[in-house]
Amino acid sequence: MIKMRRLAASGALLAIALLLILPLGAQDLSDRAKQIGGKFMCMCSCSQVLTQCNHVGCTTSTSMLKELNQSLASGSSETAITQMFVQEFGTKVYAEPPKSGFSLVAWTLPSIYLIFGTLLVVFVISRWRKHALEPVAGAGNAAIPQELLERARARAARETED
Amino acid sequence: MDVFGSFALVLALVCAVYAFVGGIGAIGTRHPLLVKSTRQAGIAACCLIFLATFSLEYLFFSDNFANAYVVSHSNRDLSTFYKIAALWSGQEGSLLFWSFLLAVYVFSVLITYRNKNGELMPYVGVVMAGVQIFFLTLNNFVASPFKALAVPGANGAMNLVARADGNGLTPLLQYPEMVIHPPNLYAGYTGFTIPFAFALGALLARYPGEKWIHLTRKWTMIAWMFQSMGILLGAHWAYAVLGWGGYWGWDPVENASLLPWLTGTAFLHSVMMQEKRGMMKVWNVWLVFCTFALCILGTLLTRSGVVSSVHAFAQSSIGTWFVSFLVLILVVCLGAYLKNRDYLKSENQLDAIVSRESSFLFNNLMLLVACVAVLSGTLFPVFSEWFTGDRISVGAPFFNKVNVPIGLLLLFLTGVGPLLAWRKTSTESLKRNFGMPLAIGIAGGVVAFALGVREFYSLVCFILCVFVASTIALEFYRGAKVIRTRSGASLLSSAVDLTMRNTRRYGGYIVHLGMVLVFIGLAGAAFNRDTQKEMQLGSTMQIGPYTLVLQSVDSRPERNYTAQRMIIEVMRDNKPIMMLYPEKRRFVTTVENGTMVAIYSTLKEDLYVVFAGQSPDTQLPVIHAYLNPLVKWIWLGGAVVVLGTLVALLPNRRAVLVLAGASEPTMATPTLQPRLTPSVITREGHD
Repeated sequence: MIKMRRLAASGALLAIALLLILPLGAQDLSDRAKQIGGKFMCMCSCSQVLTQCNHVGCTTSTSMLKELNQSLASGSSETAITQMFVQEFGTKVYAEPPKSGFSLVAWTLPSIYLIFGTLLVVFVISRWRKHALEPVAGAGNAAIPQELLERARARAARETED
Repeated sequence: MDVFGSFALVLALVCAVYAFVGGIGAIGTRHPLLVKSTRQAGIAACCLIFLATFSLEYLFFSDNFANAYVVSHSNRDLSTFYKIAALWSGQEGSLLFWSFLLAVYVFSVLITYRNKNGELMPYVGVVMAGVQIFFLTLNNFVASPFKALAVPGANGAMNLVARADGNGLTPLLQYPEMVIHPPNLYAGYTGFTIPFAFALGALLARYPGEKWIHLTRKWTMIAWMFQSMGILLGAHWAYAVLGWGGYWGWDPVENASLLPWLTGTAFLHSVMMQEKRGMMKVWNVWLVFCTFALCILGTLLTRSGVVSSVHAFAQSSIGTWFVSFLVLILVVCLGAYLKNRDYLKSENQLDAIVSRESSFLFNNLMLLVACVAVLSGTLFPVFSEWFTGDRISVGAPFFNKVNVPIGLLLLFLTGVGPLLAWRKTSTESLKRNFGMPLAIGIAGGVVAFALGVREFYSLVCFILCVFVASTIALEFYRGAKVIRTRSGASLLSSAVDLTMRNTRRYGGYIVHLGMVLVFIGLAGAAFNRDTQKEMQLGSTMQIGPYTLVLQSVDSRPERNYTAQRMIIEVMRDNKPIMMLYPEKRRFVTTVENGTMVAIYSTLKEDLYVVFAGQSPDTQLPVIHAYLNPLVKWIWLGGAVVVLGTLVALLPNRRAVLVLAGASEPTMATPTLQPRLTPSVITREGHD
C-alpha cells in the first residue's frame, strides 16, 4: 500500500514536473527564435531587425520567421541557421557587421574615434595649461598699459556675468 | 495656378541671384544703394517663394489633377488636413517646402537686422542667397512640382491631360503627426543655415569680437529646438504608425536627422567657451560649418538612394546635385578659413584641469564621437560594397552597442558640467556640490536594483538619471533659497524668479532635465515584452498585468479607406479599465494597407496593441501586444526640452537698482542739493 502511495506520489511529481517543463520548453523555443531572429535583418529593405519588422504587408519577415521557426523545430543550430540565411540572402542579412574581415573596421572605428578624440582633448588641455602657466611678459612692472587694463576689465566682466 | 507658381519660382531665382551677385558687389563697393537693393532682392525672393508654395497648396485644395505632382500625392477624398501634408510628401514638393522654410528664416533675418550690423549683414545676405540659389535651382530645373501631367501622343509628342482623380497620399503619411513632424524637422535643417551664414559671413568679413556668436546663438537654439521636436515627433510617428513596437530603429534617415542635432548640441555648449573665455573660436566656426554640411548630407542620404530606408524618397539622380553642393560648401568654408584663420586666434588658457572648460571639451568630444560613430555606421554598407563588393547591413544592434555607452557618458557629463566652476573648481567645492547628488544617485540605483532592474546599462542609466536630476534640483534650490531669503516669497516663486533672472542658464537646466526624462524612457526599453496570438471572439490574451478580451471585429467604410477594427476590452485584476480599437486600414486609391495602433499609455508602461492581420491558416484575427515600460517619459522629456529651450530664448529679467526716497530739486531752493537716502531697493526690469 505504502509502495503504491509512493509510486502515485512519484507519478504525480513527475507529471507536475513535466507540466512545468513542457510549457517552459515551448517558451524557450520562442525566446530562442526571438534571440536568433534579432541577429538578422528583414530583407524587405525596411532596414529593420527581422523580429521587429511588422510593417503591414511585409511578407518577407513572415516567411523568414517561418523558416527560422522550422529550422529551430528541426533542431538546427544557430550556426546552421546563420549559414542558411547568409546563403539565401548574402551577408547583408546580418543585423550587425560580423566581427571578422573588413566588417571588423565598423566595430573598431568608434573605439578609434574615442581614443583619438581623448588624446586630442588631453593634448589640448595640456597645451592650454602651459599657456596659463607661462609668465606674462613685463609682469612686475608697476605701470600697466591702459589698453591692457581695459581688456582685462572687459574680460572679467564677461566671465563673471554668468 | 501652376503657371503662376512656376513663374514665381523663376522670379525668385532671379532675385536670389541678384541678391548674391549684387551682394558681392555691395561688399566690394560699400555703396549704400546697392546694399539696400540686394537686401530688398533677398526679401522679394522670399516673398516669391511664399507665393509659389501657396499656389502649390492651392492646386491641392482645388483638386487640380492636371498637375503631375498633385495627381501623384492627392485624391478627391483626401481630407483637408492631409492635403496640407501632401505638399511635402514627395521629392518635388518637399524641396519646395525646404525653400519655403528657408525663406521664412531668411526673411526674418533680413527684416530683423535691416538697420543693424551694417558691416556683417551684406556677407550674411550673400551666403543665405547662395544657399537659396541652390534650392531654387532644384525647384526650377531638377524637381519642379509644377509640371503639368502629360502623356505621349500618337505622333510622339507629349499631350497635356487632366485626370478625374489622383493616386492619393501614401497611407503611412495619413497620420496627424505627419502633418507636424516633417515641418519641424525641416525647420531644424533649414534653420542651421542662419548660424552657418553668420559664421561664414563673420569669417569672410573678419568681423571683430564675439558679436556674431551672440547674434547666432538664438537662431541656433531655434533650429536646434525644431530639430529636437522633429526627431521626437518622428520617433512618435514610427511608434504609433509603423506598429513594430519601437520608436527608434537607427534607420539611415533617422540617423541623418540625428547627426546635425549632435553637432548643433556640441556648438550650443562650446559657444559658451568663446563667449566667456574667448576660447575655441576655430572649433566653433567649424562646428557650425559641419552642422550645416551634415544637414545637406542628411538630405542627400534621404533623397539619393545611397542607403536604403523606408523613410527615403524614391531613388533619383538628385544626389549628384547635393554631392556637388556639399563639396562646394566644404571648399568655400576651407578657403575662407585658410584665408582668414589668423582672425580666429583664440585666448586659449586653462587654469585648472577640473573646470567647466574641461567638462565642455569632454562634452564636445562625446557628442562628436557619437556623431562620427553614427555617420560611419550609416555609411558603412556603402564603404563595404566599395571595398569588398558585398553590402553589409548595419542595423540597430550595432548602433545600440556603440552608442549606449557614449550616451551614458554624456548623461554623466550633463550632471557634472554645470557643477564645475569656470577656470578652477576647488576640492571643497567638488565635495559640496557632488556629495549629495552622488549619494542620491546611488540610493536611486539601490531602489532600482531592489525593484528588479538587473540589466547593466539600464541600472547605470537610472543611477545617472537620479544623479543628474538631483544636481539640477540642487542648483534650483540653492539659487531659489537665496532669493527667498531676500524677498520672502515662496520657494516655487523664487525658483521662477531665479529662472527669469538668468533664462539661459536655468533654461539650459530645464533642457537637461528633459534629457534626463528621455533617458529614463530609453532605459525602459530593456524590459520590453511582446506576445502574439490568434484570437477568437471572446478569447483572452495575457500580457503583464493586463488581460485582453476580443469583443468583436467590425468593418467601417471611411471616406478614403475601409477600416477593419478590433474591439478589445482591457482588464486588470479582473476589472475592466478601458477599450482599445487597433485598426487595419485598406486605402482605396493606392490599394495599400495601413495600421492604426491602439495604445494604453501610463507613466509606468504602454500597452501597445497591433491588429497584425489574419492568420493565413485559420483566417482568425491576430493580435500582437507589447508591454513597453516608461515610453511616456520620452515624450514628456521632449516637451520639457522644448519648454527649456523656450525659456532660454527669453531675455533675462534683471534686478535694477533704484534710489528710494529721492527728491526732486525745487525751483524755490535751487541751491539745495537733492537729499538722497542711503537705502536702496531693487526693482525688476527687462534688459
